[in-house]
Amino acid sequence: MVKKMSQTYHTIRELLVAAEQNFGAQDAFRYKVKDSGDGSKKEVKVEAKTYTQFKNDTECFSAVLASLGEQGKHIAVIGPTSYSWVVAYFGIVGSGSVAVPLDANLPEEDLCELIDRADVTTLVYDEAKAGVAQMAENHCKGLKNIICTGEPQGLVNGLSMWNLIGRQSVGFDYTPKPEELATIMFTSGTTGKSKGVMLTHRNLAENATCLDMGLESGIVILSVLPIHHAYCLSMDILKGLSIGSVICINDSLLRVAKNIKLFEPNMILMVPLMIETLAKKLEEAAWIPAPLVKAKVFGKQFHTVCSGGAYLNPAYLEMFKKYGITIWQGYGMTECSPVISTNYGAFMKDGSVGKLMPNCEAKVVDEELWVKGSSVMQGYYKMPKETEETLSDGWLKTGDLGYVDQDGYIFLTGRKKNLIITPNGENVSPEEIENKLGDNRLVQEVLVRESEGAIEAEIFPDYEYAGKKKIKDMQGELQKIIDAYNKTAPLYKRIYKLKMRETEFEKNTTKKIKRF
Amino acid sequence: MFEKLADIITNYVEVKKEDIKPESRFMEDLGFSSFDFMSMLGEVEEQLDIEINPEEAADIRTVQEAVDYLEKL
Repeated sequence: MVKKMSQTYHTIRELLVAAEQNFGAQDAFRYKVKDSGDGSKKEVKVEAKTYTQFKNDTECFSAVLASLGEQGKHIAVIGPTSYSWVVAYFGIVGSGSVAVPLDANLPEEDLCELIDRADVTTLVYDEAKAGVAQMAENHCKGLKNIICTGEPQGLVNGLSMWNLIGRQSVGFDYTPKPEELATIMFTSGTTGKSKGVMLTHRNLAENATCLDMGLESGIVILSVLPIHHAYCLSMDILKGLSIGSVICINDSLLRVAKNIKLFEPNMILMVPLMIETLAKKLEEAAWIPAPLVKAKVFGKQFHTVCSGGAYLNPAYLEMFKKYGITIWQGYGMTECSPVISTNYGAFMKDGSVGKLMPNCEAKVVDEELWVKGSSVMQGYYKMPKETEETLSDGWLKTGDLGYVDQDGYIFLTGRKKNLIITPNGENVSPEEIENKLGDNRLVQEVLVRESEGAIEAEIFPDYEYAGKKKIKDMQGELQKIIDAYNKTAPLYKRIYKLKMRETEFEKNTTKKIKRF
Repeated sequence: MFEKLADIITNYVEVKKEDIKPESRFMEDLGFSSFDFMSMLGEVEEQLDIEINPEEAADIRTVQEAVDYLEKL
């Protein structure tokens, strides 16, 4: 008999302890490991960890941090989703330290800057990010320990996470309080500099557990989104554990289709970009009966997609319904831990991004949606001005235009903030890219925006300079600037469209380029 | 390899096989999204029974670059 669990937890530790009590011997995580066997072709096999094993491992890692004198400090974690990543995260927050998850796709210099800015004293990194660890060891002066989830190589003082864990015993004695800071998550800011969102145990634990979505324990979830994002951390991991789900780890975005076949999930959290691609796969075989197509693409057992991070065309809801798949569209932002509203079960409304979470209230001020509740962040780390601009008497200004209907459903109508939300849910600051492109002498004015799902740069070149330099192929020269920028930028910040203009941009009264 | 890849490409974007050129750029010219591109590489992995490094693959921009990369594996 499957149990339905529904209880609100106030700390991440409390959530984990309860999950272990309720589901101890059941699998918490499943993931692929490579088995070299005879040394020839590597075979892939699936390994699993139970709730009890997971809790024990996290406690040992808490003990590791205490033994290093790092309890209560800021600990960064860099790498793709892995069992080690999750153990490190829970070990950090369970010890009363603050986890700082960082985007593994950022350039190494940017990661080091964030490590310094977040006052990180210990870095936990995945073997694949050895380059960052080496740079951090040489340049991040505040760093005391560097711990690799595999074998540390190329470091003077690298430590091995699982060697350290092996020396500890289970049962770390610490009880974090709900108001303690648990995590600093970086998100793109409108000024071009990313901001560290400070979230407490209460912020995260209550966001993940205050709503009973009717999910049954034992539900198999495939986690495909980047784990340094609040949406994945909260909904896949924290919520997943609290309800007793089996969380399967997708090793790469390359292998989503393959891993769906391997792990046979019931539910996947996605961003609209993924839904669009999978929709093409479903429609590709539209002449075959819908249940067969669904079985081929997602497996017979699959039933739910949770969508968040960006706008989803409502046509996909209808399309997936044809195949017996329900899409639950939600809405949130890192600053709200992150879920603000979601459609689920019988609580669905066309055109809405869902019903307001039970721990959240909302109001509209000058058409902008403001929210308040136990999941609203404490502020931006060491950015009092930006915090003051975003929080007002406990209300979080979302930057989104919209309204709440009489039944508590949110409808969005536009955006106030100048931030590009890409279809994969990444927030990109146009100013950050504009500043980088503007450093080039040939670029007199530049505007970066989203156009049909891609980032576009429109450039007014410095024609006088081009004349002096005898540049004939202006479009080609500008493309070279874009190409050079793209080489340094992570995929989601790359520019895929270039427009050249012959006249200056129209300006507003403060001489700033009019964006819209 | 080019032929095989062109066949797979047509499963992901609405483009005729004859319009796919070696110099075609996946995102800009063929209309791939980043996830389309990743999924396509996953299909290539399965069909050719090879292993692609996602970090290296992120730098591929044109069909020819993809062919060169795959032939090296």
